Amino acid sequence: MLKRSTQPKRLWRSAPLKPAYDAVVIGGGLHGLAAAYFLASRHGMQDVAVIEKRYIGYGGAGRNTAIVRANQRTSENVPLYKEALDMWPRLTRELDFNLMFYNCGNLNLAHSEAALKAMRLQTATAQFHGVDSRLLTPAECKALIPALDITDRPKYPIFGGMFHPPGGIVRHDAVVWGLAKGASARGVHIHQDTAVTGIEVQRGKVAAVQTSRGRIATPRVLNAAGAYAAALADHLLDIRLPISVLTIQAMVTQPLKPLLDHVISSGGYHIYANQTLKGEIATGAHMDRWPNYTTGTSAYYIKHQAEALTDLLPCLQGVKFMRTWAGLADMTPDMAPIMSGNDPVQGYYQDCGWGYFGFKSCAAAGKYMAQYMTTGTCPEILAPFDPGRFAAHRLMGETAALVNYSADN
Amino acid sequence: MALNLNCPICGPRSGYEFRFGGEDKGPRPAEEGATTALWLAYAHLNRNVAGVQREWWCHKDGCGTWFRVCRDTVTNCEVPTVDTL
Amino acid sequence: MERLKHLPTLRIAARQPITLRFNGRTLAGCAGDTVATLLYGSGERIFGRSLKYHRPRGLYSLDGECSNAMMTIDGMPNLNAELTPAREGMRVEPQNVMGSLKWDLLGGLDHLAFAMPAGFFYKTLHKPSWLWPRAVKGIRRAAGLGVLHPEARFDQRCDAIYPNVDVCVVGGGPAGLSAALAAAEEGLRVALLEARPRLGGFCDYRVRADAQGKPLHQWAAALADQVRARDNIRVFTDAPVVGAYPDGRVAAFQRGGPEDAFDLRYIEITAAGAVVATGCIERPLLFAHNDRPGVMQMGCAHRLLHTYGIRPAADAVFSVAHDLGLEAAIDLHDQGVTVHCVADARTDGQDPLLIAALEQRGIPLRRGWVAHTAHGRSRLRAVTLGTPAGTFRQRIACELLVASAGLTPLTGLVTMAGGQVKYDPRTGFFLPVRLPPNMQACGRLRGLHDPAALAADGTLAGLRAAEGLGCRPQRKIAAAEAALAAAPGAPRGSKWLAAPGKGAKTFICFDEDGTLKHLHQAMAQGFDVPELIKRFTAIGTGPGQGGIPGHNLPLLVAAGQASPASDPMPTTVRPPLVAAPIAAYAGGRHDMAKRTPMHDAQVAAGGRMERVGEWFRARRFGTDPGAAAEIMAVRTNVGLLDASTLGKFRVFGPDALKALQRVYVGDMARTRPFRTTYAAMCNEDGCVIDDGVVIRTGDNDFYITTSTGRAAQTVEWFRYHTRYDGWDYHIVNLTDAHGVINIAGPNARKVLEAMTADDVANTAFPFAACRDLTLAGGIPARAMRLGFVGELSYELHVPASCMETAWRMAEAAGAPFGIAPFGLEAQNTLRMEKGHVILGSESEQRTVLHDLGLGFLWCRTKPEAKTVGALALRDTADQPGRLKLVGFKMETPGDGPPRDGSPVVNGRIRGYVCTARHSHALGEPVGMALVEEELARGGTRLGIYEDGCGGRLRYGTVAPMPFYDPEGTRMRI
Ligand SMILES: Cc1cc2nc3c(=O)[nH]c(=O)nc-3n(C[C@H](O)[C@H](O)[C@H](O)COP(=O)(O)OP(=O)(O)OC[C@H]3O[C@@H](n4cnc5c(N)ncnc54)[C@H](O)[C@@H]3O)c2cc1C
Ligand SMILES: [Zn+2]
Repeated sequence: MLKRSTQPKRLWRSAPLKPAYDAVVIGGGLHGLAAAYFLASRHGMQDVAVIEKRYIGYGGAGRNTAIVRANQRTSENVPLYKEALDMWPRLTRELDFNLMFYNCGNLNLAHSEAALKAMRLQTATAQFHGVDSRLLTPAECKALIPALDITDRPKYPIFGGMFHPPGGIVRHDAVVWGLAKGASARGVHIHQDTAVTGIEVQRGKVAAVQTSRGRIATPRVLNAAGAYAAALADHLLDIRLPISVLTIQAMVTQPLKPLLDHVISSGGYHIYANQTLKGEIATGAHMDRWPNYTTGTSAYYIKHQAEALTDLLPCLQGVKFMRTWAGLADMTPDMAPIMSGNDPVQGYYQDCGWGYFGFKSCAAAGKYMAQYMTTGTCPEILAPFDPGRFAAHRLMGETAALVNYSADN
Repeated sequence: MALNLNCPICGPRSGYEFRFGGEDKGPRPAEEGATTALWLAYAHLNRNVAGVQREWWCHKDGCGTWFRVCRDTVTNCEVPTVDTL
Repeated sequence: MERLKHLPTLRIAARQPITLRFNGRTLAGCAGDTVATLLYGSGERIFGRSLKYHRPRGLYSLDGECSNAMMTIDGMPNLNAELTPAREGMRVEPQNVMGSLKWDLLGGLDHLAFAMPAGFFYKTLHKPSWLWPRAVKGIRRAAGLGVLHPEARFDQRCDAIYPNVDVCVVGGGPAGLSAALAAAEEGLRVALLEARPRLGGFCDYRVRADAQGKPLHQWAAALADQVRARDNIRVFTDAPVVGAYPDGRVAAFQRGGPEDAFDLRYIEITAAGAVVATGCIERPLLFAHNDRPGVMQMGCAHRLLHTYGIRPAADAVFSVAHDLGLEAAIDLHDQGVTVHCVADARTDGQDPLLIAALEQRGIPLRRGWVAHTAHGRSRLRAVTLGTPAGTFRQRIACELLVASAGLTPLTGLVTMAGGQVKYDPRTGFFLPVRLPPNMQACGRLRGLHDPAALAADGTLAGLRAAEGLGCRPQRKIAAAEAALAAAPGAPRGSKWLAAPGKGAKTFICFDEDGTLKHLHQAMAQGFDVPELIKRFTAIGTGPGQGGIPGHNLPLLVAAGQASPASDPMPTTVRPPLVAAPIAAYAGGRHDMAKRTPMHDAQVAAGGRMERVGEWFRARRFGTDPGAAAEIMAVRTNVGLLDASTLGKFRVFGPDALKALQRVYVGDMARTRPFRTTYAAMCNEDGCVIDDGVVIRTGDNDFYITTSTGRAAQTVEWFRYHTRYDGWDYHIVNLTDAHGVINIAGPNARKVLEAMTADDVANTAFPFAACRDLTLAGGIPARAMRLGFVGELSYELHVPASCMETAWRMAEAAGAPFGIAPFGLEAQNTLRMEKGHVILGSESEQRTVLHDLGLGFLWCRTKPEAKTVGALALRDTADQPGRLKLVGFKMETPGDGPPRDGSPVVNGRIRGYVCTARHSHALGEPVGMALVEEELARGGTRLGIYEDGCGGRLRYGTVAPMPFYDPEGTRMRI
């Protein structure tokens, strides 16, 4: 075991860009790589190309805070996320790459009666779907995370919590590299430093993809360009999506010996925090509320995060922030993703709008998108995620929040 | 991410004092004869331009004015008003 | 250890002793020491153990670029001892040590290093699959530095300031000082930030003479004096800058001294222009065992000596690549350190004066030689020097190796703010090539070194910043340009990378124990950009971030690449530039929560106050969670509710009605003077976002109320939805100006009668009416007869300034009936018995008006108003398959109401319970639920799945609403 890893081989091969592929995936992020991997591994598709503008993992894939869980709010969502969560150990085996799933469980805090009620719905929904999730008293929360301040001192005192033992964190880079390794081993070509610049449509069907390195003929293309997916769809195919591209900032502290044994999050404070395997406390949550494509951070945000964090977990006051960064998130109005295909162009598939949730879901989404692209018919589990729901006034209930301006929610 | 905006009343202020109000899609469509598609486009669909776009902002923590600016979404900088958008 | 006493550059007060406890022992130093210099001065050489291999680590630099000297101080882990001023009585503990610093029980891990190649964890411990979940526990325990107790508190006084200046200068060295002076002389307001306790930068500790023969430290001190003398320069020392942003903000934090009123201060400067003069740190020299205690950077050795009066060792060897190294060797020699030899990686280009000075002292200089290996374990014993390829070698026994590959500019602020750097082959620096607008860079950061050049460059930057702000210092600019041109330019930098070999013990990154070998392994696996290598090997992700590896990594990657065509690209520098305590960012604790005028009175009456949005409100009075007594008082007698948090607005002007028609779904043209109209606002999706009453109070004049949660956004909402129209109307937020008292219950009128002389009989003041009353003592009150809780009730809107008086008046008037306040919990049950919805409680984002049975509030016949939400309401009016709001009762009432939020299931989840409570009036539980339409018909059995029920459902039956007083007679009496 040790011997082999001291003689390193390339994790994924570089290959020449061929003039034609059976399928082209736009975006070497989580969803693109997962779909490519499943196309090759489950559906035997021989010629698959992943086209990545920069390097694999450049987008949200390499910037997220790696939280995974399955306790979404609605029946449409829970099964997909549950399957994705169950896949981490299996994928680790299959890819022979340690994705470092750390099954520490997630604790979500409530700071009001209303939040407790929302959690009850979420908890019972999870339980109904066989997903372990339970409600806790403030004292029970404190038993899990002794650093929590459960007194009346904080701005938003803790009313209770929701604990979801099967969740945790997964090493985000490992997922990117592991999927790339697995896909490459099964013949997928990964082309980095290559941007998709056009999609050719003939008689209503996808015919080819234009890239910065030339044209690729293909009958099917998956738009998995993450935060750029909506702009790409608009630009290349005139498909407008109900998506806003917002920045999420995140940060880590210097490493500490074990302090937080679970992922914790709080809607009231707009914050989540977890301790990575290296001992850093990774934290983030809030989105900057205007669309943009920069990945810059701001003083305002770090300060906000610091105020919230020290209120909730006062012992962190003396701990130091070490690094902040930002990534882009493609948000839909109902905080549920968009997965669809063959509409309005045959052979065009899209998998985007993941917002905060695109890491935890990628394995299952990739699996079913691959099935969709192979068979041409939408797997039942993906049906609710068609963007047609917006025109039909059937938003998914993933967020309880009442909306403000339709443009940026 | 860092942003400054020029409020027409208050001058240059931190972007965090403002609320983004969406891409400038023009006046509300007439209700009579409006289709669902038209509603959807007005209410939810965005161009998500990577570049300059005209958009609405409200100086929520200041004078409360709604105003339009042109901003480059790639640099996050306000740019002089472009009429051809 | 005795300190040197008579150096002109000393910054310690040798006569003010300080003692602290280190590892259980008492060590002594003096005022002006940092914890690190105190320890070093007391003879400590091992400062900590490395993260992965538990290698002993010593003092390497004094600027906090790595975790070598991170310690737990007074219970707070991970403090950089070299940046923490020593204070009397501090308790200092080393970190990541099992056993003692000298005999770490895990020190053996070092021998297993071969088994932990780059990306180790990605490829191991996952087979067999039971292994990982167990291994992870051990990994967690082994990882991390410093133990933090969950109840630890950081008892420092923190605050925050937000200065606004014209020019912000970062860096208090000669260039920064010159820049600040130049800008200030143009009449601008300047802020100058310096990370160290003193101004002067790298001249503060140098005794070398400048061209005029003045010692550099004196020259720098004179500049600093000029800066301090100007009242338009605000100087912040001990204030490391943590970030510079494209929006012109510069964030820093400042450590307060004993005389300051704060310990930590967050500083966020808004500046129209910025000058970055952050200078350089050192580029670590790479060789085998370059991390041994006893290996230190040239600035570290130099400052220990000159600033702190500590002779760093009895004897030393130098392996350097910069004139500063030669200077340090000379100064160490002059203070009694035996310098065996100075190896200089450069074959030529040294300052001839320095060469002469070395010769004069008999110190051998080996040009082109470098250190290959450091020997010794817990202390350095000897060094092997050699020619680059190792053809000629020499082993020299010594206690100290001063090692440095030269300098590396601190350009982080430039790139953070949006500038760009590019590799410059001459200096070997990543030099700024594109600066953000309104930012200047100057000084050592641009490769300059000579004092005259630094001063000229700083002056120029200050003047250019002023020019950017509209000043016209053209003549001065020309003069500064000439001075800069006349001064020596940027010296050539050394290109030396690393001695040949596998590099298994050549540490690129101390924090993560990342070696040259790890780098080569990563590259062999296809990681070819520094950014990815950083992630794969963790190099540069530790507490010091890029401080140690930041310069070497991109150079090594470029050198190792097959096609050396492309420029080396450094990894992104991200804020905070200097790790900053979270408390420093948080600043003072402040909270803008609002209290109504009745807050204290309600607390005194036993009210349990809860945060509801930005307000505090009373949930209940007393301990009964169901608030039964409060409920019964309202149903049978009379109660008092503080409803001041309701949104209250005046909308007026010629186009006021048009605006109301736009945002309310009902027909506001039909509102009648002084009649309350219940009205709803929807968003574009037809989702109800607000409800309240609209009262026409005059021509083009309306008074409206909104829910508490929406009050803050209502003005914005009106203006947003009328933004294209140019209508002439105003909306004024009166929420905080008016308090609201709700008097509810069968005896409510009797109470009101006692409060006012006005006629409030049912005929004069009927249900749904609004009256402007005068309460006793002349208090004006706008009163409305509403039926939210289903009893006779009056809502009195009074000026907030008189609210307490009015409340006391109501209490006195109600005393004969035993009037008592009620809270949100009681109100919630009361309104639920009446089937009234609370938005957000009985609705969510996907709920449209029709789903709540409130479709009647929407008027279809006003298309010209272009009402917000109308199109969606039209589409959903008869849409099948939506969730609908229903009332229900329980099959076994004795088991109590189901918990709020419990799903309604029937094969699958088909809705959920919104609110359910025991109804005291009905003597059984009732509730409201949102369920799929097929389940919404009266009498349908609802299976309720409570959390933790394990699949055992409870059953309810859909029942008509309102549950209580369906005819609504009680509120009309
Ligand atoms: C700070 C932060 C924290 C987060 N935390 C979590 C979390 O804890 N849990 C969770 O589940 N989710 C989290 N997320 C969300 C998650 O990271 C994203 O939803 C996820 O990365 C989306 O995956 P993706 O494959 O769609 O896009 P990405 O991973 O962004 O990949 C898209 C790729 O497409 C490439 N691309 C774009 N345009 C083109 C083009 N024209 N041609 C070729 N390639 C192109 C991009 O370079 C990019 O590599 C977080 C996100 C951020 C920013
Ligand atoms: Zn303004």
